[in-house]
Amino acid sequence: MTLHLLFLLASLDGALCGCRTSMGRCPLIHKRKYYVMGVLRGVFAAQIVSGFSLICLLLVVAFSRSPLLLRADLVESARRMLFVFLPYAALVLVNIALRIIPSTDLRSATSVFFLGPLTGIRPFVMIAGVVAGIWRAQLHETIFLGLFVLALMLSVEYALNSYCSRLQQRQIQSLV
Amino acid sequence: MGHNPRCVSQDSLFLRLTPSAVVVSRPLLRFVLPARAQFLYSQLVFPSWNPAQPEISDLVVQHDPKTLERLPVNKPEILAIFERFQNKKALRAIECIPAKEDFLDPIAVDRLMLTVHWEMQRLAEEFYHGHRILKLLRSTIAAMRSNGYTGPIRIVDVGCGIGYTIRWLAARTNLHQEGVELAGVDLNSTLIREATRLASVESLPCRFFHGDAFSADLRGQIYISTGVLHHFRGDDLLAFLRRHNSETTHAFIHYDFQPWALAPVGSWFFHVIRMRTALARHDGVLSTARAYDAKTLLSAARAAVPELTTGIYGAKIWSTPAPRVFHALVGFRPALIPQLKQSLGRMLGELQ
Repeated sequence: MTLHLLFLLASLDGALCGCRTSMGRCPLIHKRKYYVMGVLRGVFAAQIVSGFSLICLLLVVAFSRSPLLLRADLVESARRMLFVFLPYAALVLVNIALRIIPSTDLRSATSVFFLGPLTGIRPFVMIAGVVAGIWRAQLHETIFLGLFVLALMLSVEYALNSYCSRLQQRQIQSLV
Repeated sequence: MGHNPRCVSQDSLFLRLTPSAVVVSRPLLRFVLPARAQFLYSQLVFPSWNPAQPEISDLVVQHDPKTLERLPVNKPEILAIFERFQNKKALRAIECIPAKEDFLDPIAVDRLMLTVHWEMQRLAEEFYHGHRILKLLRSTIAAMRSNGYTGPIRIVDVGCGIGYTIRWLAARTNLHQEGVELAGVDLNSTLIREATRLASVESLPCRFFHGDAFSADLRGQIYISTGVLHHFRGDDLLAFLRRHNSETTHAFIHYDFQPWALAPVGSWFFHVIRMRTALARHDGVLSTARAYDAKTLLSAARAAVPELTTGIYGAKIWSTPAPRVFHALVGFRPALIPQLKQSLGRMLGELQ
């Protein structure tokens, strides 16, 4: 359950990263399809990262001297991570939901006062979440896996940003 | 930072690469912050927030005021301007622009400007700028019609850049079916080409022109702009507003940043998170520091276009004292006022 929740949060984070890295790079007015593609790209990137993390996790468990203890330690670490990630995700989702209300001021306010700052603190929340998870970990393998997953998750936005930037540059070069 | 505002062919409105072009005359430089705080902002803490300096985008693209032809831009000259302000951020941003024999590579500049304007459109989208301006336009058009104006109405976006506002209005409203023509004008031919291309890709009923927004062939009944006013410094603001003095002008709605103590800080934070290019980040923050307060805008408008009733629209959020990021300098033919007051209520503020 805990790992499933983490997987869902990683997918949500990927979706939002995909959307964010697409923003400001398409000057059309009608661009729902463009954003859907961005979100899907982000979700896909999150699946790659999650899949890779799972493979590493399985390998570490397979080669561990005490797989049962490691498994329990990993689950407990993941549970502690959720204490940080879940409130953050809830805050983001609430602010996205608020934008359904048809008020230009309210929508702008969610962007300026919440979604913007929440984007700004995302890397720190990720670090805080993983540190909270591995802080009381009993095994070195758990710490290694936590840091490894953190590095992978932080690289998702960077990779998506680089990809979208290259696409944009190519498009602009074709125009001028 | 706003779009390129220099789409009026009067010589005095063109920014010149002389120190005098970046010095603001005293009567119009009234910001919300007291002078001492301004000094702290601009001299000691953040030289890039000094409102006396121009924006990078004001300098990297130059046009001949008569022919509108693109002029070569000398890189060391514009670097020298920002060196005088000890503005390292601007210097770094300009250093990155490729140059050939001391002159900025126009293709690189155009690519940069397109990137920046694509990014700026995102800000307009996040602030729901289209919705905001539509509310005012709908009321203005209704007031004009009920006052017996039956002819076609042309809305001209002055310094339209890549034409987001006009394209949004064309895409999201049926104004064109109500006898309203949507036009955008800018001095930057690259941005106009891009605006035209984007409108064509989406088959939008609007047009874009490279030229003088107030010329006989392009002028309209309603003038709008976004983030343009603060580019006109000193007497240039009066000169710009005076160009609305025409029989055809029924109204103008010029949106710009609203200056207040925390505006540059908020803008800095927002741009760091949202914008990717150094130029956009720099100019975006500087724009909020250079923006005129309501008093300055109103005194300039009332001196320049006395036959229009002018005021500030949408300065506060709902009925709270909290300021909006943007406010609008508005001007209307007096006959339109009673109906506008009815439809817009307190948002319209005090008109004179």
